[in-house]
Amino acid sequence: MAPKYKLTYFDARARGEPTRLLFAAAGVEYEDVRLSREEWEALKPSTPMGVIPILEVDGVTLCQSMSIARFVARETGLDGKTRLERAQADAFVDELEELVPKLAGLLLFTTDEKEKEEKAKLLDQMIAEKFGRCEKLSGSEGHLVGNSLLWCDLVFYNIAYNIEELYKAGTLQSYPKLAKVYDTVKANPRIAKWVAERPAGIVNI
Amino acid sequence: MPTYKLTCFNVRGRAELIRLLFAAGEIPYEDVRIEWDKWPELKPISDTPMGQIPTLEVDGQVICQSMAIARFVAGKAGLLGKTNMDQARADMLLDGGMDVGKLFTEMVMEKDASKKAEKKKEFGEKHLPPFLALYEGFAGDNGHFVGDSLTWSDIGFFNMMDFITAEYPGALDGYCKLNKVIDNVKSNPGVAKWLKERPVTNH
Repeated sequence: MAPKYKLTYFDARARGEPTRLLFAAAGVEYEDVRLSREEWEALKPSTPMGVIPILEVDGVTLCQSMSIARFVARETGLDGKTRLERAQADAFVDELEELVPKLAGLLLFTTDEKEKEEKAKLLDQMIAEKFGRCEKLSGSEGHLVGNSLLWCDLVFYNIAYNIEELYKAGTLQSYPKLAKVYDTVKANPRIAKWVAERPAGIVNI
Repeated sequence: MPTYKLTCFNVRGRAELIRLLFAAGEIPYEDVRIEWDKWPELKPISDTPMGQIPTLEVDGQVICQSMAIARFVAGKAGLLGKTNMDQARADMLLDGGMDVGKLFTEMVMEKDASKKAEKKKEFGEKHLPPFLALYEGFAGDNGHFVGDSLTWSDIGFFNMMDFITAEYPGALDGYCKLNKVIDNVKSNPGVAKWLKERPVTNH
């Protein structure tokens, strides 16, 4: 029987990965469709808003990466135990999400050296501000909110992974509570398995 | 009964959706407004989680990030959507609106007059029409984006168009279903009362 959920995105981590990490953490099967440029151009007109990722479930198609992730988090019980926890998780996600296009912009789409330097300076400032704020608010036991893995931990992990692995290794050393969240996600057996096995992707972001 | 205290600048801005949701849910709250010029002295001593406002204080706990707060209040007001799927659709429609909202805000905040005129033309001709056409398609004949009753995605759309139609008065002409959404929101008793009573501000 086909899995209940079908995720469609590019062959990359980027905006599809938080949902993939959620499915992995929850141990829920799903169809992980990865499109080439040409396949995307052909599919685009039939998508709700002309953007991916999209998630198809029970004949309905959702778009907008964080709405999809929040939906899957809710379906799998990883959104938060109370309304307040869910709001706190949402707040971390909203704060951190702004880093995603800035990181991709610098790492993938900037070739001119001088422009790279300027963007890196701005990105460093943004990381310092946002990680600083999140460090202040984060729990100290390896979770951003409450005392168990929530989707905000996975969203954070995905962004921090790119920063540590592709941009500036050691960034998290200045943020001990966030570093603990990162390590806790990394050590989660289902996440570790997924990270070891996941496709490299056509682009490393 | 929990107590709610919303703190924001004395503008509609990022807090207005939250205020509309409190109104629609007929939930009493303290609407604290800070003047722009007072913020620099208040910021260091204010108890804001991420050093920014708006914040919502609920029984001593402080939540930040305007959309996280709005979603929280929408939940309290029963306006999130009935099922997980409905809630996700409401989220998705609000997210889609925010990209357009960002461009609009950039245009409004542009200080250079000729750049602003250029941005205004571009937004009105290039970005707004496809967005409205797309959302006309999303709206139901009943004047709701999700299901058969008012959700925060209806109210979010209304709020955004409230700002946009101030700059583009005829923008919604001809969009039957979108106008129905607007009417549904405006005729909600709590919203109608708030629209009559709310402070008038430039933004």
